[in-house]
Amino acid sequence: MQNKIAMLRSDCAEVLASQVERLAPLKNQLVYVTGGTGFVGTWLAEMVSYLNDDHGFGTRLILAARDLDAFRAKAPHLAARADLELVSQDVRYLRELPEGVNYLVHAAATPDNRQHASDPIGSMETITRGTANLLDAAMKLPDLKKILNLSSGQIYGRQRIDEARIPETRPGTLSCDSIMSVYPEAKRYAETLCCAYWSLYKIPVVTARPFAFMGPYQGLDKPWAINNFFRDALKDATIRIIGNGLPERSYLYPSDMAAWLLAILVDGTPGHAYNVGSPTGVTLGDLAEKIKRYAQSSSIIEIRRMNDDRSRFIPDDTQCRKTLGLQVTVGIDEALQRSVRWLKTIA
Amino acid sequence: MKNVIISDATLRDGSHAIAHQLTKENIAEYAKAADKAGIPIVEVGHGNGLGASSVQVGLSLLSDVEMLETARENLTRSKLGIHVIPGFATVRKDLEVAFKLGVDVVRVASHCTEADVTERHISATREHGKEAYGVLMMSHMASKEVLLDEGLKMQSYGAEALIIMDSAGAYLPDDVEDRISHLVANLNIPVGFHAHNNLGMGIANSLTALKAGAQLLDGAARGFGAGAGNAQLEVLVAVLEKMGYHTGIELYPLLDAADLVEKKIMKVVPSISSSSLVSGLAGVFSAFSKHVAAAAKEYGVDPRDIFFELGRRRVVGGQEDKIVEVAMELRDGKVRGAHAE
Repeated sequence: MQNKIAMLRSDCAEVLASQVERLAPLKNQLVYVTGGTGFVGTWLAEMVSYLNDDHGFGTRLILAARDLDAFRAKAPHLAARADLELVSQDVRYLRELPEGVNYLVHAAATPDNRQHASDPIGSMETITRGTANLLDAAMKLPDLKKILNLSSGQIYGRQRIDEARIPETRPGTLSCDSIMSVYPEAKRYAETLCCAYWSLYKIPVVTARPFAFMGPYQGLDKPWAINNFFRDALKDATIRIIGNGLPERSYLYPSDMAAWLLAILVDGTPGHAYNVGSPTGVTLGDLAEKIKRYAQSSSIIEIRRMNDDRSRFIPDDTQCRKTLGLQVTVGIDEALQRSVRWLKTIA
Repeated sequence: MKNVIISDATLRDGSHAIAHQLTKENIAEYAKAADKAGIPIVEVGHGNGLGASSVQVGLSLLSDVEMLETARENLTRSKLGIHVIPGFATVRKDLEVAFKLGVDVVRVASHCTEADVTERHISATREHGKEAYGVLMMSHMASKEVLLDEGLKMQSYGAEALIIMDSAGAYLPDDVEDRISHLVANLNIPVGFHAHNNLGMGIANSLTALKAGAQLLDGAARGFGAGAGNAQLEVLVAVLEKMGYHTGIELYPLLDAADLVEKKIMKVVPSISSSSLVSGLAGVFSAFSKHVAAAAKEYGVDPRDIFFELGRRRVVGGQEDKIVEVAMELRDGKVRGAHAE
């Protein structure tokens, strides 16, 4: 456990080294996170804990979610902290927020596509009704400074083949009559709803569009390519790639993700949306090779070539880089090596 | 040369044809022969899959463990596959045991409109590092749009292929082309097809599926399967090779395996009996044939009337009790045979 906490603390210190001053507005503030026990919320809690312990921020954090026991099990060191409160809540039924809240992070909604397929209506309600409830409740907060709405990179749909990276200005190409659009369409609606509240009521809401991440607290149960690669590599089992191994994806290490989100929360311009993800692509074939190497695995990589998918899903990070001065601290190779260390630690 | 992955259902779908009475010797001999032929995937088990042995759908002679252990001991090149229907098989009681016994490919099946019941089984299979296929049974009962929606769910759960089953042998080639091409165009995972031969379309429909973009095909030696049987494996492979597809299967050992099935396992070579033909026309699950024959005899009614009435009621696998109900109602004159006059 101590080893695990030391790894997390080291990650936080590294990415926040140049960010502490800019995050000063969070000092002695109350931050409320919906969906707070998920991957994003847990990493925000690690960051705030670090800022409080090492830089005396005095920030208080409320993590609201449906499943608090899972959080207590995965992060007991956070659950036990005096500056962190866990609140049981389903955002679909949220009516009011604690009066003293200064910053809101709206992270309720799982990106787990299995759940979107099995419970499409519940998944959409969490996003659509949850966001509406949150915005209505936020209107009553006297000291609210900013809301960060977590949308998704998936709102863009498929990336254009002639485009190296997706900029925030891309309108997106989604098919609204597919079960696969449940999550991204609901996220698009939520973004537009935030825009409407900002326009009409001038609620200071800013949007982040997360892409893909890999690192501590990322479970391997979701059937995503990188998870399968890690799981199979760690078992020395065959790593199977159905297609040709050429699709390109990018992965941001979660400490960078959390640092970027905090920076957007503090300095992001209301009414704007920011891509949050690594701009450096890696093909699935190369990714499998890297994971095999870093896991020191004897796995065989089987590329079956049963489709000719050459898709790409990589964000353009120009806006975060140029307007907020953010950059990727942990590159893909280092991120994968740290992920292997983490997965072996918790195994 | 284009590759086709062949999955051999002889020791699973064929189980229906002999009321699930496969012996250890049957499994060992056929598995060894199939392995020698280089058949990529050999399915083994009760006709309705893992955990299905029951009074309702038929008791197996052997337990799942006995069947899988025997097959595993005799497969070196071929992958060991199982058919899994959530509800019959649970993750902890059945699937995890199968993983320990060395199963390689898990084909998680549901009725064609109920893919959401497969999430846990597909997830568990992937988490154990095994290959997971989604299977939609009785697919003639759903439109291509519904099949795609259900297929997308299975893809979301982590299925690495989607197999469309013509469980009733009800398709004509145009039906296959329509559905398979729609699925291939809209899924990221490869699509497969499992034929039944009730209307004599087993091979033709399999080839149509292939031309529509399918990359996996099921077959059974001598067509040994439920009802009129499946696409006859050795014929399918021979035709595919003649058409220029690559299956990786050696012909002579495959023919030897098929001969073995005819001589030692099957009681009769599957043919398109009148009741099988009617079953296909009515769109009723092929594996109902023995139950229907028994009910017709017991209640003194025409089995063809039972099939048509079951088809009219859209009865699906797992509703075997409806067969007796329909037979009794026909006997009592509560319903009339659809083609009686």
